[in-house]
Amino acid sequence: MDALNHLLTGFSHALTPENLLWALLGVLLGTAVGVLPGLGSSMAVALLLPITFQLDPTSAFIMLAAVYYGGLFGDSTAAILMNTPGQSSAIATTIEGYKMARRGRAPQALATAAIGAFIGAILSTSLVAFFSPAIIGLALRFGPAEYFALAVFAFIATSAVVSQSMVRGLVALGIGLSISLVGIDSLSGAERFTLGIPQLFEGFSIITITVALLAIGEVLHVAARAHTDDGHESMLRRSGTPWLSLADLRRTLPAWLRGTVFGVPFGVIPSGGSEIPTFLAFGTEKKLAERRARRGGRENEFGKGAIEGVAAPESAGSATAGTAMGALLGLGLPTSGTAAIMLAAFQQYGMQPGPLLFERNGDLVWALLASLFIASVMLLILNLPFAPLWARLLLIPKPYLYAGITVFSVLGVYAASSAMTDLWFMLLLGLVGFMMRRYDIPLAPVLIAVILGPVAESELRRALAVGQGDVTVLFGSAISVGLYAVLLLGGVIVAVNRIRARRRATATVPGSKAGAAS
Amino acid sequence: MTTDTSTTTPAPAPAAARPGWWQGRSELLVAALVIALAAFLAFQTAAMHVPPGVESPGPRFFPTLVTVFMFGVGIALAVQVIRRPARPAAGAPAAEAAAQTTPGGDADADAAGAGAPAGAAPAPRTDWKTVSIVVGSIVVFILLLQPVGWIVSAALLFFGVSYAMGSRRTLFDIVLSLVFSSVIQLAFVAGLGLILPAGVFGGIF
Repeated sequence: MDALNHLLTGFSHALTPENLLWALLGVLLGTAVGVLPGLGSSMAVALLLPITFQLDPTSAFIMLAAVYYGGLFGDSTAAILMNTPGQSSAIATTIEGYKMARRGRAPQALATAAIGAFIGAILSTSLVAFFSPAIIGLALRFGPAEYFALAVFAFIATSAVVSQSMVRGLVALGIGLSISLVGIDSLSGAERFTLGIPQLFEGFSIITITVALLAIGEVLHVAARAHTDDGHESMLRRSGTPWLSLADLRRTLPAWLRGTVFGVPFGVIPSGGSEIPTFLAFGTEKKLAERRARRGGRENEFGKGAIEGVAAPESAGSATAGTAMGALLGLGLPTSGTAAIMLAAFQQYGMQPGPLLFERNGDLVWALLASLFIASVMLLILNLPFAPLWARLLLIPKPYLYAGITVFSVLGVYAASSAMTDLWFMLLLGLVGFMMRRYDIPLAPVLIAVILGPVAESELRRALAVGQGDVTVLFGSAISVGLYAVLLLGGVIVAVNRIRARRRATATVPGSKAGAAS
Repeated sequence: MTTDTSTTTPAPAPAAARPGWWQGRSELLVAALVIALAAFLAFQTAAMHVPPGVESPGPRFFPTLVTVFMFGVGIALAVQVIRRPARPAAGAPAAEAAAQTTPGGDADADAAGAGAPAGAAPAPRTDWKTVSIVVGSIVVFILLLQPVGWIVSAALLFFGVSYAMGSRRTLFDIVLSLVFSSVIQLAFVAGLGLILPAGVFGGIF
């Protein structure tokens, strides 16, 4: 058991008081941003990035990964207690979770969510730890053409196949690619799109881009609606103990495991986050409950607060985090916005995630993987009994919350570069982020394009140079052909589903579903 | 995924007092910006100075692909907006994801009600006044940071944003802003060694 030995060494690195402290800080912060609606772990990671550069890389990544995991634990608290999902990964949980809370079963719902998130995180992290040799073996067979195929796969999957509107996803992709082009071309030394501004010779700083799009864009978006939104719904009172009865456990345990099964593959597919597996898990539980009821089994509680409807999406959501870390570390493939920012963080430290990372920075990788287990345990302890305490964060007045975020944004951007020009770029890109939010243009494709764009370009040019201009080299191996085939298949499935949905929509009363969609 | 359910959105009845053609089509501005960006890329790519002796594919190759792509999606977006206007200026991305139909079907309505302040309600108008106060605060911060220093300029930024968002406890807010920016100055300059302009308080820290 090679992996087990590595992991044990990793634990010995991760269990130092200092690294435990960073993990604890990370999970606290991650839970906090998870609980607060409008803030997500990607924004938290972006704002932390400039600050973590003062730390040694292992501590920095332990903290960033803990934030990522924490967000997926904290997101269900406000969803259950206030009918407001903390991040989009908790929307599916909200549906049945809030109904459970209204029936006085809030403690059970919170416990189910916390344990579900824990199970998903632990199982998927274990999978990654023990299958990492296989992932690396696969990745070692990647040449320029395969890496280019992987980048194209990530671009198209996040922007076209997965996002709500294909055109808007592709617009986001284009914006990201355009941003990534700015700067001096690394292969030839040509100056591109800099307009002669020296601060742009190295391109836009990734910190400026992420802070602007995620934090400043969100602040402006909230400001645009600050005086039209109604206040939050009042919080439900919590009563009773969070113990799950045996009957509850018998229902939640299979749901947790089924949810994990949905989450695991979606961590590796660049789908921009965990909304899709959470909804798939939710839908499956609902169908199963209907079938059970038809067969004369247990009554179908969906619509009245079914505990399975909380268990499955939560474990699905956090299961994506584990495998997303695996794809990030082993393949260098970011599958969500948060993972993309972490990839940028690796690059800032001069490391390139991928198979070589395990060889060159093995200590760091295994300490990071070990700390993911530690962080999951911490999160379970922090969230199981204290969820109602976390919900008190929602009492922070909105003006101060967003004022604080703005100040932290300018602090991060300035601290990273000490250049005033970066602050102007931040404002400009923040306005772009605001515009994108207003028109429902997804942000994840931009981040992935900004980070993978240069990779895609250099691998493509390298492949073509090797093949001396022969385009067929791009399709020269089973891996790249396989990736394009999966992409094509995904595209066909999405297209068929869309046509079917359109037909169904026109068949039923038009407009009956429009309210939900618009 | 059953995206694009907006196709079923009932078009605004022409009988009612018809709002301008631009109603629901303001996204054309986005399409125009994308096309303008594509034009900029095209112009700059053509004018790019390529160092001699670069083997092909050179530095112009990938930008050309991106330029073509940007023209394509910009036009596609324009066509889509013209053909299917009346997208209410969208609410939270939450609503978007919620609209993703679950295989179960009728969960959408629940989810939209849960996730989005914008669901069935008329789209919230963009509150340009608030947005401009926030943008103005950031501009003032950038202009003041070097001459005045972190504590004052960051406090002004905090105050400006919280004022824009509707906080009206002036005295309390001023104190809070100053405390907040000072705590950051202490924690990050003394604790983590970041460099912030000290400005008028230069001698103290």
